[in-house]
Amino acid sequence: MKGRAFGYLGYLMAILVGVLFVFPTAELYAAENIVIGVPTSLAFLEGEESLNCVRLAVDEINAHGGVKVGDKKMPLKIESIDIRDASPGVPVPEALLGIEKIILEKKVNALVVGPFRSEALLAAMDIIAKHKVPMLGTIAMAPTSEAKLMENPEKYKYIFRTCLNGKYLVGYLIGGMKFLNQEFGFNKVFIMNQDVAWARGVAQLMIANFFEKAGWTVLGQEIYPTGSSDFSAGLMKVRAEKAEVILSIFDMPQSGILVKQWKSMKVPALMSGFISPLAGPGAWKTFDGQIGGALNSIFELGNIPSEKYAPAKDFYYAYEKKYGKPIEAGHGPAPSYESVYLLAEAITRAGSLDPDKIVEALKMTDKQGVMGRIRFSEANQVVYGDDPKVEALGCVYQWTEDGKRAIVYPPSIAEAKIELPSFVKSAK
Amino acid sequence: MLFGTLVYGFINSVILALVALGFNLTFGISGVANFSYGALYVLAGYLVWIFINLVSLPYPVSVALSILATALAGALMYRFILLRLRGMVVSEVIATFAIGLTILEIFRYLGFIGFQYTLPVFSTGSVDFLGVYVDYQRLSIVGIGLLLAAFLYVFTHHTRTGLAFRGIAQEEQTALSLGIHSDWVATLSMAFGAGLSAVAAVAILPLGTISVEGGYDVLINALAVCIVGGLGSTVGVVVASFLIGYAQMFTSSYLGASWVMIVSLVAILIILAAKPSGLFGKQRELEERI
Repeated sequence: MKGRAFGYLGYLMAILVGVLFVFPTAELYAAENIVIGVPTSLAFLEGEESLNCVRLAVDEINAHGGVKVGDKKMPLKIESIDIRDASPGVPVPEALLGIEKIILEKKVNALVVGPFRSEALLAAMDIIAKHKVPMLGTIAMAPTSEAKLMENPEKYKYIFRTCLNGKYLVGYLIGGMKFLNQEFGFNKVFIMNQDVAWARGVAQLMIANFFEKAGWTVLGQEIYPTGSSDFSAGLMKVRAEKAEVILSIFDMPQSGILVKQWKSMKVPALMSGFISPLAGPGAWKTFDGQIGGALNSIFELGNIPSEKYAPAKDFYYAYEKKYGKPIEAGHGPAPSYESVYLLAEAITRAGSLDPDKIVEALKMTDKQGVMGRIRFSEANQVVYGDDPKVEALGCVYQWTEDGKRAIVYPPSIAEAKIELPSFVKSAK
Repeated sequence: MLFGTLVYGFINSVILALVALGFNLTFGISGVANFSYGALYVLAGYLVWIFINLVSLPYPVSVALSILATALAGALMYRFILLRLRGMVVSEVIATFAIGLTILEIFRYLGFIGFQYTLPVFSTGSVDFLGVYVDYQRLSIVGIGLLLAAFLYVFTHHTRTGLAFRGIAQEEQTALSLGIHSDWVATLSMAFGAGLSAVAAVAILPLGTISVEGGYDVLINALAVCIVGGLGSTVGVVVASFLIGYAQMFTSSYLGASWVMIVSLVAILIILAAKPSGLFGKQRELEERI
């Protein structure tokens, strides 16, 4: 009797061991993946395309067996969540809940992309630091997050940014304005910007760091709440004040209408700055071909193909091949793709998934990537400049009257010269 | 600058009148405050976009189908939901608001967010009007607004259905005794209101982008115009549209764009404090009670 009982127990043990080996539990299976969390505003173009780029990089890496960690290779796995922080009226705490949820429930090893709004990123920094999860942000761009990091570098060392930040954007905008001054003698500007932290910050930096010092006259500033779609009163002010340049700083979907209105009202000032809906090739059709002559910024090379920098072009067309449509966002996709590679290489260098070791390895990054040469500053911000062999790069391009995007700045990758629209006259 | 503000203020006023006419018509006849009005406006815009871009129909056909579909949605809403709530004002408001929320949030859930959701303008180009450039689309809006006002006048004064509308609006019991079917007229008025919101959408949306949030803005503007003008009063709608339209444009020109959004809300507060029935309102009993 006792022997039979031991026999049944033996069968049970054998079945249990068999089940454990043949059908490993979710937890055991999960331990074999490196989990990358993508908490961002997925309903927005920049969020959707950034997630696509993360998938593109992950698929490429997994096709080669995954990421080398010590003496084994581990595949990457993506977990995403829509934190909706870019939508008007969505409070920051809702975005924070989403970020904490993906950290705790999906047990992510790292985060990429992250919040849109810098307000949300600033608040999320404490959550990310608490859970010690390395994050490579690719959308939010107010330099205040770097200032917060530098106040307590040990606590916030997990937060990196691979996209352009407001300070570097100001650098490109200043470069563009100097160029306009040299070429056409323009020195009177009217600023139109969105009422969000990064745009307000960029406008203030432009006034304090450039316009006042360089002898430009700021004739006025119009600030628009997110969601505004009628810019006629502001454009009438531009005309009345006799501005020569409109500095536009927007990332809301409605802002493309500003350029259409500018064109239909024939406002005699050159439109130059950043308007996110104008970034991609689809903008020409969307805005009825009424955007020719406008100057716009692409925050990171790779979001636009450059004939003078092959890695950016290769990435741009790899995306188009995989998804059957081109990149439309001027901000987010290229650094999101790059971030996965930076993370993978850092994990390999660290030889571990320990967050502190990954952070140390990330700081050592020096890579020739799709945006140019990638290195991090002391505040964990990728360094941007004017030459892709030296730093990462953003650029300024102009919509031509036949619906093409021609890069006009910086000189290292410029493909064309600026052409003034018929209703804008040179001051020279 | 002043002349430009006057010109664009006029256009903005016509836009507000277009937006509010449908809401006012439905309330004036059926007594239903249709809080799904903004959502129906957005629905019409998205339907045109879908017909053009996903079904590849010509623009005019897409516009016609969208207006018909939105009007049908309004009629069905009354027939299957509001009819059962007739006379329960709070329930009507809650029901229509819930339907509106559902429509808008379904579009958000389906990912209809982004700059690509735009409608083509009827004609590109602009005209120089004494130094102020006005694009053809805005001129079209003014034209549509005038045509619509003329159509509504002729319809309500010289057609059997229109006269039935006025009969129900003036005295429902008497109209019933004359053989006018009040439920049928109310259903038609909902369809008309929804159809008018669609007409406003196809005229106005080519100036901007179609967005879920736009539905809430349209509802607030329509409410503001109707409350200030007096619920149910067509003359009130026109006068209030010009008051609020010019107030918005002058605020934008001389105070700043960020103040525009509170103009409608301030107008509602002022009129509720000073004359609760509105400038030309027929709800005298409310005023007397207060």
